[in-house]
Amino acid sequence: MMELWSVPFLRHIVLAGLFVALGLSPLSVYVVLRRIVFAGAAVAEVASAAVALAVLFQLAPFPVALVLTVISFLVLSRLADSPRLPPETLVGMLYAGGSAASVLLITKAPRGEADILNILFGNILTVPVSLLWSMAIVFGLLSLLQYVAAKEFLISAYDPDMGRTLGIRVGVWNMIFYGAMGLAVAVAIRAVGALLTFTLLVAPGASALCLTERLSRTFTIALLIGIISSLAGVALSYQFDLPTGSTIVALLVGFFVISFGIGQIRKAT
Amino acid sequence: MAMAAELLKADNLTVGYGRRPVLHGISFTIERGDFLGVMGPNGSGKTTLLKTFLGLLKPLSGSIEKISTEGGHLLFGYVPQRESLDFHFPLTALEVALMGRFGRIGIFRRPQDEDIAYVMDCLRQTRMDSFADKPYRALSGGQKQRVLISRALAAESEILLLDEPTNGMDMVSERAIMELLSELQRDKNATIVFVTHLLSTIERYAHRVALITTDGQLLIGEKSQIMTPEVMTKAYQPR
Repeated sequence: MMELWSVPFLRHIVLAGLFVALGLSPLSVYVVLRRIVFAGAAVAEVASAAVALAVLFQLAPFPVALVLTVISFLVLSRLADSPRLPPETLVGMLYAGGSAASVLLITKAPRGEADILNILFGNILTVPVSLLWSMAIVFGLLSLLQYVAAKEFLISAYDPDMGRTLGIRVGVWNMIFYGAMGLAVAVAIRAVGALLTFTLLVAPGASALCLTERLSRTFTIALLIGIISSLAGVALSYQFDLPTGSTIVALLVGFFVISFGIGQIRKAT
Repeated sequence: MAMAAELLKADNLTVGYGRRPVLHGISFTIERGDFLGVMGPNGSGKTTLLKTFLGLLKPLSGSIEKISTEGGHLLFGYVPQRESLDFHFPLTALEVALMGRFGRIGIFRRPQDEDIAYVMDCLRQTRMDSFADKPYRALSGGQKQRVLISRALAAESEILLLDEPTNGMDMVSERAIMELLSELQRDKNATIVFVTHLLSTIERYAHRVALITTDGQLLIGEKSQIMTPEVMTKAYQPR
């Protein structure tokens, strides 16, 4: 690990992995508990389409992706309670629409395909210093928000009716939560790509929920799993010449399989 | 004789979901220390009425006045149907009951030692203090209900509203929960409104009865006035 830290280019990769794990791992607990796992995947596709759209019209990709991602999450949060259709329907349509729009827009974009794919899907190996700063600020603020508004996020997800009777603005807190999710996804995708972003939004929380009966510990365990997977993934990919993002994803999935097994054994005994 | 303090006053109230009225033009009052059982056939609007009291649904017409005896807003202690809470959340009994304090703690503040002490006292009142550290989802139906009643007490509310508090319980657990509510009403002069479809529970424990009829009317009064064969037959008659 010290060898990784001594090379500036590798140091960026370590920091990118660390920041994205710090930002997304605690959020993953609520993504799983609120049953919005595939909303993360769908919005990731919208973010990709937004980047392609920005490239096509020669706009700055990040602000366009940020705006469309946050809007997508807010729309999902408002329409989730539609009495006509189950919420998965909207998520599915958003996923299909985002994926198709990305491909259609890429074909008309004026830049080289490899260049666009890099922008579109992110690459942890090419994270610039400016993006590292953005990640540090955004994920730092999101972590702070999750800490100070823990009770508001909890009651809005667990028992919104009780929250409303206590005078808590559940609708506003849900919008803040989904807005924060949109922001986190937009930043993370730009840095590490859709697959790692999606996995970090699910696996740490899912693993932690298999291992403990305390919500406060769930957040800590999710954070540790995210950080360990990211750092170990970077180290292993360097050591064995493997793709970094996929190595981290494989470790996160491995953590989940082991945690799920432990959870099942505990339940049986 | 001193007049009892009115907490809820409905005047010509019509309630329903969306634009569809369920109960038409009802007027009544709920006073401090009331122990009111709300009953009616399935789908008659019992939960709709409860949610309108709580402010979760807006009345379609008429008015509902909520009068706090302590100044400010009238605070409700809501006990939902326990099946409506998600069992995936890894919460202890104490963490669930602590939610009752969230409205009093204030925005961006975390629960303090005094909040935990207050909640432990509420768990003691429902005889659940020894289960404080146990996972909520591992508790029995009766124990979960006690934790939810503790949570409602933790809000320091002036009125407890319970939606089907003994639904799905065996007779022993049902009796224990209703005895607990009676005790709270008797010893602390708590105001309790509970919705149930069990006539026997109302007959045994409630002091007053609100009966919703199949044609959307609300009959409210003493048990001896409402629970007569004539009134009950009319109320439960299929339309």
